[in-house]
Amino acid sequence: MSKYRILNTRAPRVDAVDKVTGKALYTDDLKRPGLLAGAILHSPLAHARILNIDTSRAENLAGVRAVVTHREAGTVPYGVSPARYDETIFCHDKVRYVGDEIAAVAAVDLDTALEAVSLIKVDFEELPIVLDGYTAMDEGQPQLHKMYKNNICAKVNWHFGDIEKGRRQSHIIRTDHLTSKMQDGAFLEPQSILAEVDSQGGLTMWSSTQAPHYVQRTLAMALRLPLHKVRVIKPAVGGGFGPKASCSSAELATCLLAMKTGKPVKFTFDREQVFLHSRARHQFFHTMTTGVKKDGTLSFLEHHCILDGGAYASFGIATIYYSGSLLGGPYRLRNMKYDGYRVVTNKPACGAQRGHGAVIARALFEIQLDRIAEELGMDPIELRLKNVMEAGETTCNELYVSSFGMREALEAVRDSAAWKKKRSMGGKTRGKGKGIGAACGFFVSGAGYPIYRSRTYHCTVITKVDDVGGGVTVSSGAADIGQGSDTVLAMITAEELGLSLDDVKIVSGDSNLSVDLGAYSSRTTLMTGTACRDAARDVKRQILEAVANKLDVAPTTLDLKDGLVMSLSEEIDFSELRKEYLQEHKGFMDLPDGPDLTFREASRIAFLEIGSIIGTGKYKPPPLGGSFKGAAVGTSPAFGCSAQVAEVSVDLETGQVSVDKITGAHDCGFAINRTQVEGQMQGSMMMGMGEALMEQIIYDTKGRIVNANLAEYKIPTAMDMPHLDAIIVESNEPHGPYGAKEVGEGAIMPVIPSILNAIYDATGVRIEELPVTPERIIAAMQESKKKAKT
Amino acid sequence: MKKIISLTVNGIKHELAVEPRRTLLELLREDLGLTGVKKGCGIGDCGACTVLVDDVATFSCLTLAIQVEGCSVETIENLAKNGKLSRLQQAFVDHGAIQCGYCTPGMLMTSTELLRRNPHPDEQEIRQAISGNLCRCTGYQKIVDAIKAASGEYDE
Amino acid sequence: MILPRFDVLAPESIEEACSMLAENADKGVRLLAGGTDLLVELKSPIIPQHVPRCDGCPTHPDGAVSSTIDCKMWTSEPLMAPDGSLRTALADSKSASPACLVSLHKLKELKGINKLDNGGLRIGALTTITDIERSFEIRKEWTALAEGADNLGSPLVRNRGTLGGNIANARPAADTAVPTIALSGVLTLQGKSSKRIVPAENFPLGPGKTVIKPDEILTEINYPKLPPYSGSAYYKLTNRKALEISMVGVAVWLALEKPGGLVADVRVALGAVGPTPIRAESVKDVLIGKIPDENIIDKAAQAAMADARPIDDHRGSAWYRLQMVGTITKRMLKLAVKRAEGK
Repeated sequence: MSKYRILNTRAPRVDAVDKVTGKALYTDDLKRPGLLAGAILHSPLAHARILNIDTSRAENLAGVRAVVTHREAGTVPYGVSPARYDETIFCHDKVRYVGDEIAAVAAVDLDTALEAVSLIKVDFEELPIVLDGYTAMDEGQPQLHKMYKNNICAKVNWHFGDIEKGRRQSHIIRTDHLTSKMQDGAFLEPQSILAEVDSQGGLTMWSSTQAPHYVQRTLAMALRLPLHKVRVIKPAVGGGFGPKASCSSAELATCLLAMKTGKPVKFTFDREQVFLHSRARHQFFHTMTTGVKKDGTLSFLEHHCILDGGAYASFGIATIYYSGSLLGGPYRLRNMKYDGYRVVTNKPACGAQRGHGAVIARALFEIQLDRIAEELGMDPIELRLKNVMEAGETTCNELYVSSFGMREALEAVRDSAAWKKKRSMGGKTRGKGKGIGAACGFFVSGAGYPIYRSRTYHCTVITKVDDVGGGVTVSSGAADIGQGSDTVLAMITAEELGLSLDDVKIVSGDSNLSVDLGAYSSRTTLMTGTACRDAARDVKRQILEAVANKLDVAPTTLDLKDGLVMSLSEEIDFSELRKEYLQEHKGFMDLPDGPDLTFREASRIAFLEIGSIIGTGKYKPPPLGGSFKGAAVGTSPAFGCSAQVAEVSVDLETGQVSVDKITGAHDCGFAINRTQVEGQMQGSMMMGMGEALMEQIIYDTKGRIVNANLAEYKIPTAMDMPHLDAIIVESNEPHGPYGAKEVGEGAIMPVIPSILNAIYDATGVRIEELPVTPERIIAAMQESKKKAKT
Repeated sequence: MKKIISLTVNGIKHELAVEPRRTLLELLREDLGLTGVKKGCGIGDCGACTVLVDDVATFSCLTLAIQVEGCSVETIENLAKNGKLSRLQQAFVDHGAIQCGYCTPGMLMTSTELLRRNPHPDEQEIRQAISGNLCRCTGYQKIVDAIKAASGEYDE
Repeated sequence: MILPRFDVLAPESIEEACSMLAENADKGVRLLAGGTDLLVELKSPIIPQHVPRCDGCPTHPDGAVSSTIDCKMWTSEPLMAPDGSLRTALADSKSASPACLVSLHKLKELKGINKLDNGGLRIGALTTITDIERSFEIRKEWTALAEGADNLGSPLVRNRGTLGGNIANARPAADTAVPTIALSGVLTLQGKSSKRIVPAENFPLGPGKTVIKPDEILTEINYPKLPPYSGSAYYKLTNRKALEISMVGVAVWLALEKPGGLVADVRVALGAVGPTPIRAESVKDVLIGKIPDENIIDKAAQAAMADARPIDDHRGSAWYRLQMVGTITKRMLKLAVKRAEGK
């Protein structure tokens, strides 16, 4: 018998019916009277000085209402982290990538706006370009920004414990590499923006965003408006995954156009522009040297990484830290050295994407563990089990894991996928080209600190009972971008107040409602969930106190359950309250007449007693992490963890890989909604699989994206995805509401390495470059055959 | 020069003046306000804009309105009857086949066509039928489960 | 992606369609079938919004405007002309902007799959790929064509795409063109006052270029009756399993004298390894008159490799594609033999 009525069930999403009937409104579905169309002029060159911008022909085109460049926009620097404000709304002196924004137009329709854009004359002086991240730091390379000497946007040099000691303790030491490519979020809904100003000088912007609060701040700062006059509203969003978590030049430009014209302006990205904007996964060049003792326990890790983040910093200053810090777990590791360099190149800027900087790093480390296991003659899962941390331990870089179901998750996938049996069968019995591989990973459950230095609460929630009684409205700045946070807040509130989901209204994603840092770093369930629970409890307390006072009983003897007020001790006589309620509702049908006082009545009576009943909740993590530079990034009030087993079939003559099954177990602490937790796990498996086997942004020698479309940038289709087994592990996180912590990003960690380990099992070759295409596999197999002969 | 065309959309006959280059997607979303039809890429790579034209799943972004003059078009707005969800829509809700919901209209139209044509498809047939509808959120598992569960919706 | 402004004409007969093509040839006219290729081609990308213009430099003393210009001092010249058309002189052929499209959607007579009295097969050019995929007739006898239809694009592409469109678009990887060549398909081209038959392999001249004349329409594709003990197969080598253009495509048809007997005839066509689909002629000499055993098939696959002319592009390297021609041809020959023997 479950402790909870609604929590931990498979309740349908609160927005499901709207989405299956086409009623859900995304930004491009919105209309406003007098709406103008916006268009943006992008740089055709990867690196060039701007000598002159002539907008006169564009301005004179019939139907054009405004043309804006840096002259109108100003050059207030902005970016994601205050430590790296390196962007301006429009380029003013230089363009730094193909796609960099130079100007914008608002016109009566899209055709006119696009034509006007093409009439803006820009004189460029081309500059040499740097496209290779690996050599971008070398002396003599073209410099993109004055502020980044040698194109180094950020660097980290960490040393925890004692590497040399670790070396001396090692029985096996090996060095391995892994290179990836820039990726794309490939969410189905391209960014869309609708901006409008009101008669009091207030700016409202609807946008397909993950972070209304951060965007609100950037708009106010860059457009020089008071914060309270800027409102950002998130309608339904068709996926984010990270690239939508920060303010874009397009959002700023659209707002500027609205301010200039006094009319609402809408700008929707074309799919090509989604690729040009990017802010998706960096390219990583990882080298890791790892040592283990004779018994398989880890002794040290020396990690070097170059991150190619395109032309601007974006989230890069956090990415570089995640790359290093999230190797401190999930295994016991006392000695870890990390040298990371985040560089800029003349390509679209990269930001945060599901799993942030930790994904490719995790991939290499897990592949390396497999190689070590092979050298030791140990089963790869057994090697991991030998090293996993337990709840209550702290990593060498001071990340404290308060709950940690890593062992349970590993054992779950090992058993569910029949790992031992399949591994012992060996290649021949299982079939030629068949392979099975495993991997682990872990991730933060919300960043420990906000992106801007502040002691702000990370979120607040305001829950108000209907003055007329019967239901509640939960107001929160939280962003449901498809992951289901609205449903989580509704379930928590319904559980606390004993209501059905139908009686809980959620209003969210609006910066006017409350501060909420948004949907990034997998924070919403733990952080906003906690604030929401507290707001609900506050409301409950107020209602029960008012009713108890009226009934002349102690409030502690009352509870709310199943839409009713229950007495925990003796029977209560609530006839006076019911009499008043019925009197108030003469002529109404379906009035309460049961033996118990209903919530409907109780909430109304409480209003009559004390006025509007409003409960608030707030959340901020305690101070976390160490005192070393960059310690903040990677800290979190809790950590989710994941294990996966992947089974593949490789055609050994063509190199084509079929993933036959993925079995994953994720410790989410406590599943508020089981279906949604599974959904996040399965979505992560799909994105990881795509990145492992087929996703890559391809550039030509002029820095233009060759495959800026969903035919040539390949994400898995329904025919590529296998059956996905999602096992929920619940370790009961003490710092999470009801024990809950993250699932949105952690489940992607094991995907790439478990697939690559399985490919090795099937083919006998290791590939050190992602994506692992059929051609790369054949090349590697032939290379290996050649080596074997010599 | 605009041309007058007539076509039936969700059972209602419309007469509209359209530019020759107007796509069915633009006509549905902008001229008829059927914003349930989504634009994901505009060039037939993602399937988000899928509608039924004479009972055939079609990407509306790559169909000119003039090409479907006289045809019968069905969009997501037509699936629920008298406020009651179709079995397929209900199955999507029940099985968690929706996350961000942007691929959902296209998925539903493609799978509605599938079930009308083949009331009891196996998993392979389902995956093949929706292989032109991309989804980035779900990994397709729960979508396939929902379509299987709704099988038999159109049994005679 | 925005479509340029054009007019759309909808003829009600083939003759009318040919006349419209002839009348509008000088203004720029394109034929619209399913639209899955043409409309994508016509949707201009956001970038480039401009074409580089040089106002005079040592390399271009008189100045120049061109998408291939390579000067350091670069002034942007708008790509879109005021009337919404694209500057065809400047843009490359992909962005060419026709004044009108002739849409064939009213020509129902161009649809249909019919087995002829003489045992051959006639397919109307406007027959959709889905209809081909679902035809039992085609799958039974002209199997390679059905397999070409199976994985073309996605179900949505197949519902709109047509056999005629796929062949006339003349891409080297075209999934119905390659099997059509292997199955000795012939194309009927009808003009204002002419009608001619062209073998499928002689139709394409290069990517996007064919022998078709300005007033001609591809109206039907005919496949001859296949001799007894025929078998055919087509494989499309891709990375992901749908929505792909092949890295290599191989279509094989062969006929045995009798089951277990000598090869009487064979045709192998290769896709995506040349500027057009390639007929691997060399295979004939290796296979005809021989028992198709492992050794001979191996040699035949090598011969096919010698005929292939792959290049490096972002989908695959030349060396990999060449090797795959050998691997896949071998597999398809084996499969065709099996099917020829009725297995």
